[in-house]
Amino acid sequence: MWEGLWTGMAVGIQTTMIPVNIGLVLLGCFVGSFIGMMPGLGPITAVALMIPVTYALDPASGMVLLAGVYYGAIFGGSTCSILINAPGEAATVATAIDGYPLAQKGKPGKALAIAAYSSFSGGTIAVVLLMLGAPLMANVAKTFQSSDYFALMVMGLTAVSAFAGPGGFLKALLMTVVGLMLATVGTDQTSGVQRFTFGSMNLLDGLSFIMLAMATFAITEGFLMVLKRQDTTGVFKEENLASISDLKVTRREFRKIAPTIGRSSLLGFFIGALPGAGATLGSFLSYGMEQRLAKPKDKKEFGKGSLIGLAAPETGNNAASSGSFIPLLTLGIPGSGTTAVMLGALIAYGIEPGPRMFVERPEVFWAVIMSMYLGNVFLLVLNLPLIPYFARLLAVPRNILIPGILFFSIIGVYLITFNNFDINAMILISVIALVLRLFDFPMAPLLLGFILGGLMEDNLRRSLVIYDGSFCFLWERSITLGINLITLTFLCSPIVQWLLSLRRPNPSKGSASG
Amino acid sequence: MNVNREKMGALFILALSIAYGVYAYKIPLIFLSQGETFNARTMPYALAIAGVVISLLIIILPSYDKEKAITAKKALSGFDWRRTAWLTGLMIAYSLSMPWVGFVIASIVFMAGGVMILGERNIKIILLASIPLVLVLWFLLTKVLGMYIAPGELYYILGGTE
Repeated sequence: MWEGLWTGMAVGIQTTMIPVNIGLVLLGCFVGSFIGMMPGLGPITAVALMIPVTYALDPASGMVLLAGVYYGAIFGGSTCSILINAPGEAATVATAIDGYPLAQKGKPGKALAIAAYSSFSGGTIAVVLLMLGAPLMANVAKTFQSSDYFALMVMGLTAVSAFAGPGGFLKALLMTVVGLMLATVGTDQTSGVQRFTFGSMNLLDGLSFIMLAMATFAITEGFLMVLKRQDTTGVFKEENLASISDLKVTRREFRKIAPTIGRSSLLGFFIGALPGAGATLGSFLSYGMEQRLAKPKDKKEFGKGSLIGLAAPETGNNAASSGSFIPLLTLGIPGSGTTAVMLGALIAYGIEPGPRMFVERPEVFWAVIMSMYLGNVFLLVLNLPLIPYFARLLAVPRNILIPGILFFSIIGVYLITFNNFDINAMILISVIALVLRLFDFPMAPLLLGFILGGLMEDNLRRSLVIYDGSFCFLWERSITLGINLITLTFLCSPIVQWLLSLRRPNPSKGSASG
Repeated sequence: MNVNREKMGALFILALSIAYGVYAYKIPLIFLSQGETFNARTMPYALAIAGVVISLLIIILPSYDKEKAITAKKALSGFDWRRTAWLTGLMIAYSLSMPWVGFVIASIVFMAGGVMILGERNIKIILLASIPLVLVLWFLLTKVLGMYIAPGELYYILGGTE
């Protein structure tokens, strides 16, 4: 095992440590931080906006750049949460709970520094675990058959819905189905017949994944900013920049947060490694765990600028982000919305993620892992001192920012296909997605369903051919059965939660009667 | 529009699923695949049924969080729809004009138009936000990355050559 690990690391170092790729990690971290720092824009938008740029690069370099964008966007999102209490995405909401009050106490520099150190530690510990765990997982996955893959994909899609909680479970499941429906548009891979093309040549190859990602995230984010008249320009004042520069964290403070970082790294990593869980759950569970474990004196500080309360979600979300690469790289199942977009990019490069990628394209596999080390170091060493300058980005007027987002989204799609049909389809889909988002329907499951749809159908078809048209593969093969049982648990947990909530007395009714 | 927003959304997807199912029935099948357990229609049929069932569940079942449940009308009201509609129109115009006037002119007009729709009236800011950005991007794409971007019909009409 160790020999393979060293060889893999050597391949990763060889691929990553060339000037072009080092530059790409740096560029990714900067661009990711920039986009992530914009209120309302998260890592999914950041990665989707950068994909067209990566088409000019080789797959390893492209993935290195996208991975850099991913960490950068998470870092940027935390900065935005801490400074102006406007989390760019769900994963940094927990950061704002204690980060913003700490900044309000006149310690924005300390808050940002703790966030950066926690992110670095969480990210680095998780990368070590990823390095050890991914090859093992890939080796196990080599024994998987089509039926196991089909079951895994169903599990991944169900898990995304289950983690949305009982209130969002059915909506997330429905959006997954819509994503799967969109994946069936185009020419059927096996029989060659056209499905849902309505006689249009433009739909023969199906819908473009990048078009769908831009429509459901980048453009709708821009539209939402316009609709809500969201303007953060001037929220962060010039005079606050001086206090940001004070990034000092004392030794006592480090000692205080060290155990939190250790625990949250482990928890975040394992949560992230679950298909469908992602950084949001990692950050909230880490926060909750530390709140429960805190001494009574520290417990009172939670929500008022607690250092532990800030370190826990920051460590948790970064560790989970790295952990989410395990199902992506080893099974080809994305662990989060952002890794789903990255999976789409890998497929567009002509690489089929999964255990075969570990054997056939080790340079891509290991380059992503090694670039994570680099990305974490760059974010700490280069981005942290630059925070006062990055904070000025929050002053970019929305009058310029929003047309810029729309422009880059359109250009991103146009430059891939040079086809106006895709742009018009993107506009139509973004309007529908906007209304659905206002109706509280999530978009990440749709994208996940769309990306996995083709692979899922293919694996189901193969399983049925192998088992002579019988669905007995769902319970006859032990691995498939095990995965299906986990899926059933995912399916049942929100239903049980919902049933329990029906039995729970309504507090408002109680108070009215009492 | 006094319907709960999630039920309204589910109603829309229910209609979509039914239409999808109807079109799934029209997928042509090659002779050999007609008797197969799994053919080009199987997955679409399953998805149409799943879409209908889940949409109906959302419509029929009570909302989980009743205090947070708001009507579709309320969910869509109080927003700046006028500017969003203008921006959507501008995007369509951008898409349609690009093959005719070319990437550079169409992009500059799009950026300038977008900045103006969002309320900017200072001509200096409008020009600074549009022209340098588009020209730098065009230079990077064509001269640095070596991508071919068609100059547009107008360029040829005015006598331009490759």
